[in-house]
Amino acid sequence: MARDLSFLIPEILLSLAVVAMLIAEMARLARLALWIGLVGLTAATLATLPLLATDTIVFGGTYRIDLLNGWAKLILLPGTALSLLLARAEIAGKEREGSVYSLLCLVTLGALMLAGAGDMMMLVLGVVLTGLGSFALVAYPRDDAATEAGMKYLVFGAVTGSVMIYGLTFWFGGAGSTLFADLGALDGKPLIAIAGLVAVIVGLGYKASLVPFHFWAPDAYDGAPVSVAAYLSVITKTAAIFAFAQVLRDLPTGSGWPLVIALISAATMTYGYLAAVVQTNLVRLIAYSSVAQSGYFLMGIVALGVSPLAVPGVIIMAAAYVAMNLGAFAIVLVAGRHLDDIRGFGRTHPIAGVAMVVFLLSLTGIPPLFGFVGKVYLFGAAIEAGYLWLAIIGILNSVLALGVYLRIVVPMYQAAPEDVAGFRNSPHPALIAVIGVTSVVTLGMGLLAGLFPG
Amino acid sequence: MLPLLSIATFLPILGGLVLMALPDRSARVTHGVSIGVTGLTFLITLAIWARGIVPGGFAQIEEISWIPAIGAAYRLGLDGLSLPLVLLTSLLFLLSAIYSARVTERAATYVVLMLMLETASLGTFMALDGLLFYIFFEVSLVGMYFMIAGWGYEDRQRAALMFFLYTLLGSLPLLLAILGLYLSSGSFDMRVWIDAPPLTGIAAMLALIAMLFTFAVKIPAFPVHTWLPAAHVQAPTAGSVILAGVMLKFGTYGLIRFALQMTPEAFTRAGVVILVFGVVSAIYGAFAALAQSDLKKMIAYTSVNHMGYVVMGVAVAALATDPAMRVVALDGATLQMISHGIVTGALFFLVGMLQDRAHVRDMGDFGGLLGQVPWLGWAFILSAFASLGLPGLAHFPAEFQVFLATLNAQPWAVVAILAIVVTAGLYLRSVAAVFLGELNQKWAAMPDLDRREMLVIVPLLILTILIGVAPAWLLNMIHTTMASLSF
Repeated sequence: MARDLSFLIPEILLSLAVVAMLIAEMARLARLALWIGLVGLTAATLATLPLLATDTIVFGGTYRIDLLNGWAKLILLPGTALSLLLARAEIAGKEREGSVYSLLCLVTLGALMLAGAGDMMMLVLGVVLTGLGSFALVAYPRDDAATEAGMKYLVFGAVTGSVMIYGLTFWFGGAGSTLFADLGALDGKPLIAIAGLVAVIVGLGYKASLVPFHFWAPDAYDGAPVSVAAYLSVITKTAAIFAFAQVLRDLPTGSGWPLVIALISAATMTYGYLAAVVQTNLVRLIAYSSVAQSGYFLMGIVALGVSPLAVPGVIIMAAAYVAMNLGAFAIVLVAGRHLDDIRGFGRTHPIAGVAMVVFLLSLTGIPPLFGFVGKVYLFGAAIEAGYLWLAIIGILNSVLALGVYLRIVVPMYQAAPEDVAGFRNSPHPALIAVIGVTSVVTLGMGLLAGLFPG
Repeated sequence: MLPLLSIATFLPILGGLVLMALPDRSARVTHGVSIGVTGLTFLITLAIWARGIVPGGFAQIEEISWIPAIGAAYRLGLDGLSLPLVLLTSLLFLLSAIYSARVTERAATYVVLMLMLETASLGTFMALDGLLFYIFFEVSLVGMYFMIAGWGYEDRQRAALMFFLYTLLGSLPLLLAILGLYLSSGSFDMRVWIDAPPLTGIAAMLALIAMLFTFAVKIPAFPVHTWLPAAHVQAPTAGSVILAGVMLKFGTYGLIRFALQMTPEAFTRAGVVILVFGVVSAIYGAFAALAQSDLKKMIAYTSVNHMGYVVMGVAVAALATDPAMRVVALDGATLQMISHGIVTGALFFLVGMLQDRAHVRDMGDFGGLLGQVPWLGWAFILSAFASLGLPGLAHFPAEFQVFLATLNAQPWAVVAILAIVVTAGLYLRSVAAVFLGELNQKWAAMPDLDRREMLVIVPLLILTILIGVAPAWLLNMIHTTMASLSF
């Protein structure tokens, strides 16, 4: 037990920070809560570094301290810190400000559980913990749009979560254990394997906003504060992808799951970009684009266990995606929620404009940006696993992606409407910090990709 | 030993970054930096030339570990195929920088994009790592997109969008081919892929098809050339020069470096099909150019024609059984790339100069200009004659070798020579319409070339004659590599 706890220092630090933040919020010290959160996240990130080479299981195999979980912490904890800064820039001085910060950190704790889940109950716990916090975050503004978005998100979450728990009972019955490590016992029981697989796809697919479980995403993102949308689009989604990796790498391929995931991957990226092409609301456009990005992640999941590029690909893509998507949302916070708001933005804000171009080209997968490196690994993994057709669909979608993102870039460099040009204030310092960090990561990490596991 | 290749590659983009950091970014300072940086880069490439190349492999290799886990590294090097293209690139960028000195609208951004394009172009020709090559190859698209979208003519947004989408769709199959080569060899080192082509059978054929698609779009070969006229007509003059002079060569360079050298067996099997595409491009390009009255569009279509000869040369090299004829075909194809860069570069500059003066470029709007602007006129006539393949000028030695090898290996393909007749006709027609006959009084006050414009055009004219009369200095460089090329 004591041995196990020593592997959980990052999670413990984060939990302590959450408690301290809640106390600070009770004392109406929102700023203090923010700082506790930032310090706690930084400490937890640093505490992860010595554990990175570890590959072990704790608590009887229910929680995995491995490459995926380690990198999930290194990616999601700083990602959460950036989300806190985004939230600060958006809701500073509003009521219940500190609750938002502590909820963000609490949801991240659930996200880490998803990314390290080694057991069905841990998976359920992660889904519930991330879900409950997220519903409250989406409904935070308490206006009609936010309440509707929160309700939609909650109902969707409750249904998919129940389906998942129900389906997992099939695996429990078939394998005689709730540990994923025992899923090998399902080899030769394809029906049971598929029943559970469908349930997991429903439950996690909802979290990762995979087609056809993505309907909530554009509404929730649009109703929620922009910073919460940014957070949900990167942190809970990435965690769900990592959870997919944790579950599926133990599931016998005899159940045919790689093909199922490949089909969902193709449908997700294609539908996501097709839907994004017609959006005029910037938040919804990015929401659909992040649906599509989930499809690319699945190319790596498909190749799990077959291609050595699969796990590094998912990790690198996750790091890239967190940076570039948070950066793009930060720009939305500066520019405005509508596509018309961004007209002339590149001329009034030259540096932020270039940063936005960098984020969008990275999302497209243009080299030498970080997103490109992730896609190279994922395409390579899919080809090596024999899914050349999926890689070709991925490539066709990259062209579609460019069309989507250029819909933002082109108006950015048109002349700004007279009435807007004078009104734009310089962005909040927290936003400048977020844009700075994310653009340096997006620009620089492509060249430093050697730092990532091979 | 100084890493001259890396210095030449990254000096332009570093110059661009320095420019962005300068407090004074007036047009004067900006263009001073631009000409200084591209001039210095040109001198460095001359020093690279002086260091020389070696037969049977790459010279001046610079290598640094990058992503060791997947065998990708930063690798640069040169041979007789890439060195002439590097020299052409640095020269055309220097001349474009001088020509662009009159751009005052957002001059700093314009120059930064040009410098970024130069880094991407030099990197594309010198990269010896598949992943690195792809990075440079794609970065050039981004630079050219913003160039056309920001400084082009009336319908630039649409043209830029079409260019970007079309060429991205074109280049992504190459990424699949590169991944295929990597997965079967465990390395991204292009030398490994060339020395022992890792793909065989159906996989090699699939990779070849992917690569041919990419390079055919870039070259551009019929029927995937449709982005070119739109992009050229809308691009600013320097953009057109770089697009035609440098970026189209990515396609033909890749055709030899990747398609021919890395999937040689499949290339030979598909040789006849590739040859047909070359012949059709050459003939189609000539006839399409004949149908144009817009000078810029006309020159854009002659690019399709000239690059068709390059494709023919490479295909014939793969099909020829006589090793001597293979070398003749490849020498001719490579020389044709350089000649086209110089001659078409000059023609686009000249049309740009004409458009700066008249703000129109339809040949029907001009007439009798030779007496009014003799320098501009004679420069155009010389370049036009070079472009139609007149002996003694740059295209002749190249096209002669391509046709000689074609006649020897695949005699039927010599039908492409018909295109030369058509090209001759269309150039004579345009010269007659613009420069001969009665002077259109609208242009009675048109000034002749000024000092800056002379500085841009004269080096190209000298090279046009020099390559035509005495191509040995250039051909020897190309021949060193081509004579020892194994495929």
